[in-house]
Amino acid sequence: MPSIPFSLFFEFVKVGLFTFGGGYGSLPFLYHICDKYNWFTHFELTQLIAISGLTPGPIGLNMATFAGFKTLGIPGAIISTFALVLPMIIITTQVFRLYRTFCSNRYVKKVLYFLRPTSCALIGGVGINLIYTFVFNNKFSFASINYGALILLFILYLSSFKLKTNPVLYMLIGGVFGVCVYLLN
Amino acid sequence: MEKITLFNIFKVFFKIGVILLGGGYVIVPIMKDELNLKRNWLYDDEIYDYYCVSQCLPGIIAANMAILVGYRLKKFKGALVSLFAMSLSPFVSIVIVAILIQKIMSISFIEGLFWGVNVSVIILIYLTIKDMWEKSIVDFKTLGWFLLILILFILKVSPVLLIIVSITVGLLVQLIEDKKNA
Repeated sequence: MPSIPFSLFFEFVKVGLFTFGGGYGSLPFLYHICDKYNWFTHFELTQLIAISGLTPGPIGLNMATFAGFKTLGIPGAIISTFALVLPMIIITTQVFRLYRTFCSNRYVKKVLYFLRPTSCALIGGVGINLIYTFVFNNKFSFASINYGALILLFILYLSSFKLKTNPVLYMLIGGVFGVCVYLLN
Repeated sequence: MEKITLFNIFKVFFKIGVILLGGGYVIVPIMKDELNLKRNWLYDDEIYDYYCVSQCLPGIIAANMAILVGYRLKKFKGALVSLFAMSLSPFVSIVIVAILIQKIMSISFIEGLFWGVNVSVIILIYLTIKDMWEKSIVDFKTLGWFLLILILFILKVSPVLLIIVSITVGLLVQLIEDKKNA
């Protein structure tokens, strides 16, 4: 077994190299890391999602920093953040010269033809995971359905026709609703 | 007009890191405001071009945009400075929040807050997929591919492997098409 700092570094180089689609695009990788190592718990992963969305900065970057911190404190945060951006620095500066033609290159196009449904599926998988955890309380049965979560989802779904732009608004509505439900119980 | 120096690039991107909240497309109007309207360092269509390229590149969209803009302004050094400056305040705030969180976890309603935010992420993921769907699932082949990957991911196949397979299949299919047409 390689030591934790090394594994942390390599895992986040992989996240930086294989994340496509931005925002929650790196969440599938964090779920996988969470299952593979005991660096953070599933509960801490839910903390990570909430905090990364509500703190300034790109969500993907925030998630990496938080995960690294949970694993090895401040040194861990530095390792994971640096590892995440390393592939981007190398690849993106190389691509700069061709940025006008890059996306219309036929190989890039064909790769994206397969890569886009893949990103959709990976993010969708995380969504299913979250539904299983928060709507079904980690059990496959109708008896375990959390009606509070269903109501909140319905409210947010209706608001999505009005407020399309900023994800922070959804999180704030969710957070306030969550606190109210908690206090009522 | 403010001169394009490494220090000024640092200042602008540090500010972007502070005010950027929510990620995704939010970065485009912020960059347009700071780099085009206020400073005229870039044409505004360049910013849209960089956004398009960033979506095709691996990694975080906002970070890739910072690298592209930094590189455009001051080559490799500019890219390093812009990325570092933009990451600085998010890094510090995440570390501070992560430290504080252990202290305030004992305040009971914080648990309710996390619960609510995570439920709202389900909707955000739904909206993300709805947004991507039209461009991604364009025919039966892509629909089949989507379902295949979804099942494999739920069966806990590594997402890294699934991405590598997608890239390889894309390249191979194009190579075969090229051979046929040659």
